[in-house]
Amino acid sequence: MSTSDQSLANHFDEVTGLLYLEGQLDEDHAKVVAAHVASCAPCRQLLHALESEGVWLRESLTTDDEPIPAHLIAAPERNSTHWGWIAAFGLCAGGLYTLWNGIVEPWLASISQAGLSQQGILTWFFFQGAFWKGWDAMRSLAEFMAIATLGSLAIWLFRKQWKRFTPIAFVMGALACALALPPAAAAADVERGDPSYTLPAGHEVKNDLVVAADRTRIDGDVDGDLIVFSYSVTVNGHVKGDVLGLTDKLTLNGIVDGNVRVATDSIAINGSVGKNITAWQDQFDLDEKAKVGGSLTLLAGNADLDGQIGGDLTVLARVVDLNGLLSGSALIRSQRLVVGPQAEIQGKTKFSGWHPPEVAQGAKLSSPIDVSIKGPGPDYASGRYYWHQTLFWGASFIFGLVLLLVAPQFFFDVVQCSKRVGPALGLGTLFLLATPIAAVIVCATIVGAAVGVIAVLLWLIGVYSAQIFTASWLGEKLLGGAAGASHAIGRMALGLAIIRALTMLPYAGPIVGFCVTIWGLGAIVLTIHRRMQVHAPVAA
Amino acid sequence: MDRQKTTGAMNEADLAQVLSQVRAGDAHAWGELYRQYAPAIFRFCRRLLPAREDAEDATTEIFMKVRQKLGTYDSSRPFTAWLYKVASNHCWDTLRRRRIRQDLETGDVEGLPLEHPDPGQLERLQSEHTSKEVRAGLAKLPDRARAALVLRYYADMSYDEIADTLGVRRAFVGVLLLRARHQLRDALGQPDATVAAKAGGGRKT
Repeated sequence: MSTSDQSLANHFDEVTGLLYLEGQLDEDHAKVVAAHVASCAPCRQLLHALESEGVWLRESLTTDDEPIPAHLIAAPERNSTHWGWIAAFGLCAGGLYTLWNGIVEPWLASISQAGLSQQGILTWFFFQGAFWKGWDAMRSLAEFMAIATLGSLAIWLFRKQWKRFTPIAFVMGALACALALPPAAAAADVERGDPSYTLPAGHEVKNDLVVAADRTRIDGDVDGDLIVFSYSVTVNGHVKGDVLGLTDKLTLNGIVDGNVRVATDSIAINGSVGKNITAWQDQFDLDEKAKVGGSLTLLAGNADLDGQIGGDLTVLARVVDLNGLLSGSALIRSQRLVVGPQAEIQGKTKFSGWHPPEVAQGAKLSSPIDVSIKGPGPDYASGRYYWHQTLFWGASFIFGLVLLLVAPQFFFDVVQCSKRVGPALGLGTLFLLATPIAAVIVCATIVGAAVGVIAVLLWLIGVYSAQIFTASWLGEKLLGGAAGASHAIGRMALGLAIIRALTMLPYAGPIVGFCVTIWGLGAIVLTIHRRMQVHAPVAA
Repeated sequence: MDRQKTTGAMNEADLAQVLSQVRAGDAHAWGELYRQYAPAIFRFCRRLLPAREDAEDATTEIFMKVRQKLGTYDSSRPFTAWLYKVASNHCWDTLRRRRIRQDLETGDVEGLPLEHPDPGQLERLQSEHTSKEVRAGLAKLPDRARAALVLRYYADMSYDEIADTLGVRRAFVGVLLLRARHQLRDALGQPDATVAAKAGGGRKT
């Protein structure tokens, strides 16, 4: 190595100079640098330049350039128990009481008249389906929601102590899973059509029968339930349990001892059903020879009811044509109601529709039909409509307040994310449509049923809370982004009121509602996605 | 540097009293603490976060966190150090969430010029640019470089604290700071010139 090279090699680099100036070198290293600096003018110059740059940076950064904005002068108040919260909870209690008494209870009462108890309809919708035989212990949605809420609250309260509580959390988690997972499904014969499935006459299935096929034909007997997913289903034999299914066309010529609960395009009942029918379809035909032992609950396009119904009738349909025997009461909401000459209604009849009911001569009614005529769309002239809208606004506002109280950081993060309109709308659309589909697929695996239902419940909560975040965004656009909980509440209240008013508009209202929902839902998904990233290890 | 330069002066006894009152739920004391420190935290956020609205939101959110976490503050440590730690964690989290951070630690000094900068040019750079221009230049830097400079030269955080906040190794903080200085020099339109006399200057370390 030349003398010149040795001389150059003795200079220290810029990093070393900086570390020396900032007191970050160990003692020995610092001494070497100090000794070198004493005898090396260029390195002394470098140190001087770096030092003065450091001073310059500090001065430039610490020089006051702008005062704190006026709306930040007051300290945030959120953590004290504000009188506003007390008022909010008072309102919450009042609002819930009013909602329950004014809307939910009368609705449930009318449903239970139709043969489904209040507990029954909730459990049917969520837990009593084909995949939920193990959920009998979890009797109602309300109980489940209460448990889920308590669980979430407990996790939130103990999140800081999570490490300390890890063993307890594991035990409790395992216990919860053990309770939540459905017990092993009852014995069932599972058949896949190739592509169709037929249970021949004279054959008997001793268990429940689960069928997935293009076309399903049951000519024999099923000792348990018939659970069917098929393009068309024809039952000519005898099903001793329930018929549960998703199908395009169901024809029932035989006998079902239990209930029929199906979602389908068209149903024709020519045989007999021992208990109730609950169905969602476009066309429902009850033949004049057909008999239903219990109640009939329909969400249908057209319902032609010529047979006998032993219980009550509850129908929401476009056109209802009743020309048979109804032993119970009728609650009908439809555009048109036609009561034929052969009709006999032994209970009370309540009809709500667009046109007066057309009652043929010869029809036997135990009492005059209680009619209320209401045109298509909301009744803008009715004060009740606006009162309901106000209640809905109040309910969403209270829900938003609770969200703000329980998870303020999350709340503000979601509002921030809703500023990214494009991604929020895209993700919102995706999750609005994909989540229920994914949940149904997960449910179909039986083991994943708990996951599927929890996903659907979370999705429902997300869909409902979406409006809160879109409203807060809207409020911020109109009122500005002043800090503090009270401002956030004000923004949310105004935004919700505007959104509620917009959704009341004819034709445009549903579109506004849809956009608000996907926007808010997308913002929620974006926020959760970012939070998951934050918790991921930092790239190093 | 004295952190009180950025946070205003409140002597230790007054601060201890105010903190204990805030812990006891005294709203007036909380207001006092906020008035004392909010301007410094707001400016800190202004320098770290790209948009003014973000800095305003962050200031409020940081003080909400401070109030929540005050119980965890160890009074044997300087309050301002703790406050800036809370603030820097919050701001850095905000930046990370937005995924606009692009510069990643490369782990060594690669990318830094080997030559010494020209001291004369550095002095000219310092004399020709106002504080406002420096802050404007700072805003153009990648997040991590900007954060390193602000944490060190505004909040006066130690290398350990900076390493912890930015999630880098402590040994890398010096490189990070120097690289940030270079980027700032570039941003201010003064690319480093080498000292002719020391052309090809090598490294000792």
